[in-house]
Amino acid sequence: MSSPAYIQTGMELSLPSELGFEVIARDAVAAFARRLCLPADQIEDLKTALSEACINAIEHGNSLNPDLRVQIYCRFEGERLIVEVIDEGVSPVAPKNAPLNVVDKIAGLGSLRGMGLMLISQLCDEAGFVAGKDGGNCFRFTVSRRHANGVGY
Amino acid sequence: MMLEDELTVSTRERDGVAIIDLVGDVTTFAEEKINTAYREVTNNGARFVLLNFRQNDYINSAGIAILIGIVTEVNRNSQRLAVSGLSQHFQKIFRMVGLAQYAEIYQDEEEAIVGFKRVA
Amino acid sequence: MSDETPQHDPLEKVIELRLPSKLGYERVAMDTASSLARRMGFAADRIESLKTAISEAVTNAMEHGNQQDAAMKVVVLLTAREDELIVSVADQGRKPLDQDCTTGSPKIEDALERDDKGGWGIWLIRELMDEVEFTTAPSGGNQVRMVIHLEQ
Repeated sequence: MSSPAYIQTGMELSLPSELGFEVIARDAVAAFARRLCLPADQIEDLKTALSEACINAIEHGNSLNPDLRVQIYCRFEGERLIVEVIDEGVSPVAPKNAPLNVVDKIAGLGSLRGMGLMLISQLCDEAGFVAGKDGGNCFRFTVSRRHANGVGY
Repeated sequence: MMLEDELTVSTRERDGVAIIDLVGDVTTFAEEKINTAYREVTNNGARFVLLNFRQNDYINSAGIAILIGIVTEVNRNSQRLAVSGLSQHFQKIFRMVGLAQYAEIYQDEEEAIVGFKRVA
Repeated sequence: MSDETPQHDPLEKVIELRLPSKLGYERVAMDTASSLARRMGFAADRIESLKTAISEAVTNAMEHGNQQDAAMKVVVLLTAREDELIVSVADQGRKPLDQDCTTGSPKIEDALERDDKGGWGIWLIRELMDEVEFTTAPSGGNQVRMVIHLEQ
């Protein structure tokens, strides 16, 4: 298979694994999504999902070690934006069970950790851990471009 | 092409001034739109041309080259050119490049209209 | 202590961005850098200058170095230090930069006469940044290293 267009138009971002840098990642990924005409409200969802995924990678996957890195890959495949957030896998973060819902959380079942993942799964079409390279955790989520109905163009 | 439409160009007339509204980014993709708008007002006999910028948080050197092209045409057609609505940063850039020698820079449209009346 | 030899000052923070050589994607580099610069405490007008300089460096890398081949990457390294931000932009160098064009000062009077009204990019970078250096990237491509100081 020769290099498909979606690989050609992907972007990669590598950040220090330190809280605060997720804010810069948000701005970078939002700018990328704007290139691909994602509507503004979907970009807001994307930004929230991305920061939660980064915070997870920083706090859990990389166990708050600032010498480690977080990698972010973004690409468009057809109408879907695919984002992967990869840490260095100091501790595995993939939950064994399906994420708890907010009622269970508030009821004290399970830790509040994982709230971020729950939020992401509600904002995105697909979200979950996939097999990563080199032992890192790879969290992948997708946003399908929604077309404006009847408004303007 | 999936890229958003980065620049909207429209033309109108006010007090004898042909106003070209430029909303958005002025980069290499702007060339056709800006040149078309300029030709349109010129064919309609404009003597005073105002490039009225809005939400222009991105103008690059390719965009500047397009504007220099407009200056060349304006000189050739003995028109007067002014610009308005630029952010502080792009006012600075226009001065650095030397565009300010060929086009009066005004803060906003009102000021530009008054300015044109003064020279008319 | 980490057994990995640090390749840089531990107080430095490095962000690396790899973009396709497709005009428009320079916006990603501009927004990433301005987000970082804002958090470093740069004044708004300095951030605007930084954005313009980066857009010029990245579009140069896309158009000249990488000849607009979208599959070729532009690598942007943002190094945040206590008192400065270093931005390095590298292409995959299909076409080496002519050294003469890195030093000239274009004149608008000449541009008005020429068919090609461009050629302002590198000059703008020099005018807007505190330090500018054109080198060859480790990959063999062109690299521009720009520094902007954080004035307190």
